[in-house]
Amino acid sequence: MKDRATNGAAWSILPFPSASSSACRRAQRKDLLNALRVSESPVILDFSECRSLSFEDIDLLLECLAQVAGRDKQMVFVAGSSATRVLLEVTRISSLAPVFNSIEEVLAHPQGAAERDSEDRAEGRTEEHQGASQSQTLWSA
Amino acid sequence: MELGALVMVPGGDDFTGMREAQPHGLAAFENPRAPYCSRMPILGNDVLQSWMERVRKLGVQSLWLASGAGVGAATNALAEFARQGIERLLVIELKSYAELDLADLLRFHCERRNPVTEAHDAWGQLGVRLLDRPALRATGGKRESCCSPAESAQTPYQFSGYAKRILSARERQELVGDGLTGACAMRPLGTQIREQVWIGEGVKIATSARVIGPTYIGARTIVGAGATIGPFASVERDCVVDCGTTVERSTVLPDTYLAPGLLIRNGLVDGRHLEHLGWGAVADLESAGLGSRIPRRGARREQFSSATTDDRSRGDNAVAWNFASSSNASQPWLQVEL
Repeated sequence: MKDRATNGAAWSILPFPSASSSACRRAQRKDLLNALRVSESPVILDFSECRSLSFEDIDLLLECLAQVAGRDKQMVFVAGSSATRVLLEVTRISSLAPVFNSIEEVLAHPQGAAERDSEDRAEGRTEEHQGASQSQTLWSA
Repeated sequence: MELGALVMVPGGDDFTGMREAQPHGLAAFENPRAPYCSRMPILGNDVLQSWMERVRKLGVQSLWLASGAGVGAATNALAEFARQGIERLLVIELKSYAELDLADLLRFHCERRNPVTEAHDAWGQLGVRLLDRPALRATGGKRESCCSPAESAQTPYQFSGYAKRILSARERQELVGDGLTGACAMRPLGTQIREQVWIGEGVKIATSARVIGPTYIGARTIVGAGATIGPFASVERDCVVDCGTTVERSTVLPDTYLAPGLLIRNGLVDGRHLEHLGWGAVADLESAGLGSRIPRRGARREQFSSATTDDRSRGDNAVAWNFASSSNASQPWLQVEL
């Protein structure tokens, strides 16, 4: 877990498990859930190292979302690749937490991320068209 | 003057290889790994068939088909047509849907006395050209193009009617939208059940599912409870859209299963792959457990291969053509009677 601070707000950057061996992945998965549990700061879940998402990854992602749900904790995703971003949209996970292209983008617009997150929570993100316009605005790579 | 016609299908399976396996039909040749093959149905329609119909209206009784690896070989072997006595050859590369009047193209070609006439629209070549015997002879040994730069530079036939390239997922989706809204002559192959909503034969839609026009649902497709199809969606034949999944401004190609609860928006799904039309990214749905290709049943294959001409109009993409017995395995093309 890395920590990055910007404008006074510290972000915990958690890499999403990407190891090729299943034993390593299990360990990474455990570490990720532990880190999410103990982290007090907002979290960036970073998919940059993931080439694709398997059904186990999506399962883990839902566990991560469940982990932060109900706690006053902000979580954002860094998709890393457009293919991952497509999968986040297809599974509607992008409607539960903001998705960015890079860590730098999150750090450059921390206020924007926070505002989007709070707006999303307030509105329950039931209007999916908002998710689409957000995705299109943010994805420029 | 004897007019011949050659249709080249880029990206498809090799027709000549299919001859032994499917002696009476071509419908089962579709390549599941080629998401943008121009033979993939559009609103249930086969673009190849629409071109064949236009060729038939010219009075041509048979044409040659080349596909897959055969396309390159056929391009390099056009001189062979001249040797067979063909005076003039219409070559259609299946990369566009164009509502082209081939008789008018032929008239233009004759008036100009060009050895080669290429049909263009505002965006360039449509992949349709007429070649006279001298131009056919001149193609012998040329590898890249079937006409020289000088021939290409001759006045092209400018087409101002409706045309769309079909090898790009985005333009393909635009054609779907135009077909659904009546902006082109292509009509969805099925029954119109209400305004701008068409369904094929044997479609099953759960009562809690929503179908929002303009939309097309192909034959035998199943739409699960709480699913939403449309607007501007085309779910082709034999698909399953599971419960709660939304398909919007997208195309789902035949024999595709979509898992529950998905949001397919601005995409082209072909079995296990999804291409996002906006981002151009291709995601693997199958490894994520979100979609897959539905294996074809043997019975369905039989049904395709035994389909008759009348069956073509019945909401299926089944096509049955009779191959002329003169087809020669050494040729890179296959002769089809119209």
